[in-house]
Parts: sequence; C-alpha cells; structure tokens
Amino acid sequence: MATREAGKKMIMLKSPDGMEFEVEEAVAMESQTIRKMIEDDCADTAILIPNINSKILSRVIEYCNKHVPTTGATGAAASDTVAPAALAEDLKIWDAEFIKVNRATRFDLIQAASYLNIKGLLDLTSQTTIDTISDNSLEEIRSFLSTKNDYLPEEEQTIRRENQWAFQ
Amino acid sequence: MTASFGRRLRPTSAPPLDDDDLLDEILLRLPPDPSSLPRASAVCTRWRRLVSDPGFVSRFLLRHRLRPPILGCFITDQRRATVSFVPTMEAPNRLPAERFSLQLGDRDRFSLLSCRHGLLLMFLPLWSKVLVWDPVAGDQHRLDIPPGFDTKKEIGGAVLRAAGAVRHFQVVLVGRDKQNILACVYSSEAGVWSKLISTPLPNPFCYEFMGVHPVLVGDSLHWFINCGFHKILEFDLHRQILTVIPGPLDEFPVGISQILVMRAEDGGLGVLFKSGCNVQLWKRKIDCDGEASWVLGRTFDLDTLFSLNSEEIKYMVILGLAEYNSTVFVRTVVGHFMVQLESLKFNKTFETNIWNFHQPFESVYTGETSIGGGHNGAELLHNT
Repeated sequence: MATREAGKKMIMLKSPDGMEFEVEEAVAMESQTIRKMIEDDCADTAILIPNINSKILSRVIEYCNKHVPTTGATGAAASDTVAPAALAEDLKIWDAEFIKVNRATRFDLIQAASYLNIKGLLDLTSQTTIDTISDNSLEEIRSFLSTKNDYLPEEEQTIRRENQWAFQ
Repeated sequence: MTASFGRRLRPTSAPPLDDDDLLDEILLRLPPDPSSLPRASAVCTRWRRLVSDPGFVSRFLLRHRLRPPILGCFITDQRRATVSFVPTMEAPNRLPAERFSLQLGDRDRFSLLSCRHGLLLMFLPLWSKVLVWDPVAGDQHRLDIPPGFDTKKEIGGAVLRAAGAVRHFQVVLVGRDKQNILACVYSSEAGVWSKLISTPLPNPFCYEFMGVHPVLVGDSLHWFINCGFHKILEFDLHRQILTVIPGPLDEFPVGISQILVMRAEDGGLGVLFKSGCNVQLWKRKIDCDGEASWVLGRTFDLDTLFSLNSEEIKYMVILGLAEYNSTVFVRTVVGHFMVQLESLKFNKTFETNIWNFHQPFESVYTGETSIGGGHNGAELLHNT
C-alpha cells in the first residue's frame, strides 16, 4: 500500500515468501524496473517481486537505501556538507563490505539486480564474480563456478594450440 | 491488488550462471586484457558461444574502449617499407610479435599519422593517399587525399571510431593551402569526405606539425604546430570547427627538446615539455567564464626516476605517447622505459637500437574469440 510517512511517499514491496517491505519510493526507484512501473502508474498498490526471497530482497533494499541520492531518507550525509569524492569513497568502502557474502548469495544478488535493473548492484556483483576468477586457471574457474568442461580433449587441445600465447 | 512483474520480467529459477543473459553480463566485465576472451572461450562450449557472439564482442570493445591496455608498440622501417609490432605485456597477455605486421609496396614511402581505437593511419605521399590499417582484423583501406590539400606540404591526420561505433571509422586530415589550415573528415559509413573546413594560417611562412600524433580530448583532436611560435591546432569533431589555440608559453622555450600534446590528469588538454632529463607537465584550465589558461603541474627528472648516471642519460628521447594510459616510451642507452605520467610508475620494456618513433598500440584485443581457427569454430561448437 502506498502511504505517506513524514512527507515521503512509501511503497510496499512483497517477496514471494510473503514478507512485505515498506520502502521510500525514491529508494525503490533505484530499480529501473520499479521506476518504470511507478512512472506508468502501475504501482499504486503493493508490488510483488517474483523469485527474489525476503532475505535477498532485504539486502537489495539495503543497497538501494545506501545508494539513493542523498536527498532521500538515508541522506543524513547531505551532499552540501560532504565532498562528492569523499562520498564516492565512502560508498566504495561500503560496497566492499556489502559484497562480502558467500557465492550463493552473490549469485542471488546478481539475479535480483538483473531482474530489478539496478545497474550499480549488477556492476558490483558481476565485477566481484569476475575478479574472483580472473587470475585462476581454467580448471579452477570451472570448479569455482561449477561449470562442466564439455570440450572433447582434442578440441581443447586445438583451442590451446591456436592461442598458445594466452595460456602461457 | 498487487502489481506483478509478470509481464515485464522473465522470472526464472535458473541459477545466474545458467542464464545466458546473466552470464553475458558477468563475462562483459572480464578485464580488457588480450587473453581474457580466448581463455574464457576455453572454459566450455557455452562460454565460447557467448564470448564469440558479435554482439558480445561489440559490447566488450565499447565497454573498455576508454581504458585500453598498451599491447605493445609499432615501429616503422621506411627502408623495408614495414610496420612491425613489439609486444610489451607480460604472459599470458603477450601477443606474438608476428600477429601484427604490415608490408607495404616498394613505392609506399609512408609516415604514421595516428593510432587510436585499434586502427593506424598512414600517409602515402607518392600515392596521395592515406591508408587505414586494422592490425587485428588485417583490413586495409586506402583513401584518396581530398582535393584542396597541398600534399607537398606536411599532412597531419587522425583516425578514430565515433562513440558507439565498432566497425566504422573516421579519418580527419589536416593540412594547408596558401593561406589556410584545412581539415576534412572521412566517414567510412558514408564512404565520403566532408567539405573542407578551414581557418587562416597564423603565419603563412612557417608551418609544421610537431610530435605528429594528435591527442583526442573530449570531442576535440589536438596537434602541436609550429608556426613561428608554438600553437595547438584544435579540431572539434562535433561542431566541425578548426581553431588555433595558444600553448602554455608564448615563446618557444630555450632548451626544450621535445613537446607533446597529451591528456592532462583531469582529462583535459595537457602538454609535456622535455628539456634534457627534466619533464614539465602543463594543463589547460577553463574557468567559469570560459577563459582558458595554462597551469604548470608536475615536474620531474627522468634520470632520477630511472636512477641513471651521466653516461646513461645521453641520447634520452621520448619515442612515443600512449594517450589513454598517459604513458610515454623513453629510449635510453640502457634500454627502453615505459613511464606512466600520473603515478610515475615505470618499467623497462625492451632493448633495441631502433631510434624510430614508436607508436604505442593501445587496444582492446578481441581478435581470436572465434577460436578453433575462426573459420571452423562453429563446427567445433556443434560437434560437442
């Protein structure tokens, strides 16, 4: 139910496991998908977010709360008093802490960021995934991401031979 | 009533790495190193299918275009009419030298004018043509110099790809006639040269390009020109306007042995003066009224930086500038150094007796993503 609290428009987000989250509209609109629904007037009541359980949805809301422009409820650190560079640095540190989660949670967050179209969260979660694998061997990457090597031995050999320099 | 995402999203319970769209998003963030895509391709057939997709390759190129790694240097040899490549990255990103090389014909005297976005631009004076070479794809395009340019005088030029363009390119030529500096833009998409754009020569008697290679800052290309006093020629690509703007100092400074235009630390226009071992970095500031002025930034001494003695500093020359990485290649008698001008981090790259200009090759390399030979990659994919 969209309500008003202290002059701020609120929006209700529902997870499929029945939990409800009342969030500021500005925070919810960090999600481009929700923004579109609100702008199209499709969201005057609660919004059901499919496939994102309450645990993940609450983390997503936490992220959006932190990243909403400082005029929002979390705007204690008003942009008038804090230099943009300091603000960006603070967000970077916060992001680094936020993403210290196990692999399954990170994958759930990637999925949620994609569904909800939250670019910053998708960047953070995807980049973290890439960063954890980019210095590893192919075998380690496959094992870490539970990806099966479906090349025939001779095919893999061909691939390595034709790009030998990339496997040194 | 509860609004639902049903019509807007494609909810799926597949884990992210089993969802092609999500895996695509993740793989896009691979570092722009040459080995990234070939190695990702070798993980499994599905990864290869994704990273070989032309749409993915385009997005990968565009995503990293402003942060390309320095793959190495191109060195020209006029006598043999060749352009050869010297890799500077470490394994597994060290592309083989023979991967990029160009052999021109006997009559092809040439000069290298510009390198950007994976393309090289060369001037072929005997043919009155410019040559655009894509070393990764191996493509060559020869373009007639448009009428109006005096090809007996010096020609400057730049090659680039417009924002969002992956395949098409633009060439900007600058030259002169009797009274004017001229510019003309070729678009490979339209296949034609623009009308001539001109601005009066500041001094009709003397005019040459110094440190021939232009630098792209914002929407404008910049060349250093010597017209009795040193100036910077600016070509605004967006507005198609040619302007001569003042450099940092009115007089050509005594003792200055090299001048380069570059990107300043703040992304604006910068100039590098080298005098002996001393390097001065200047930046152009524009105030809130739109007034431009030059400010001296960092200065440092290359001999101190490299810990070289007085014998070793002889013949020290800056051979080339990598504009996106703000990195210069410096030749000394003890070898070549690459210096990043913001951090002053440096490393020794290679030893050679070659004194020629070095053109750093900054590019996102995606050349061999259709591995399995490129032509039989698809077959390989279907066999599995």
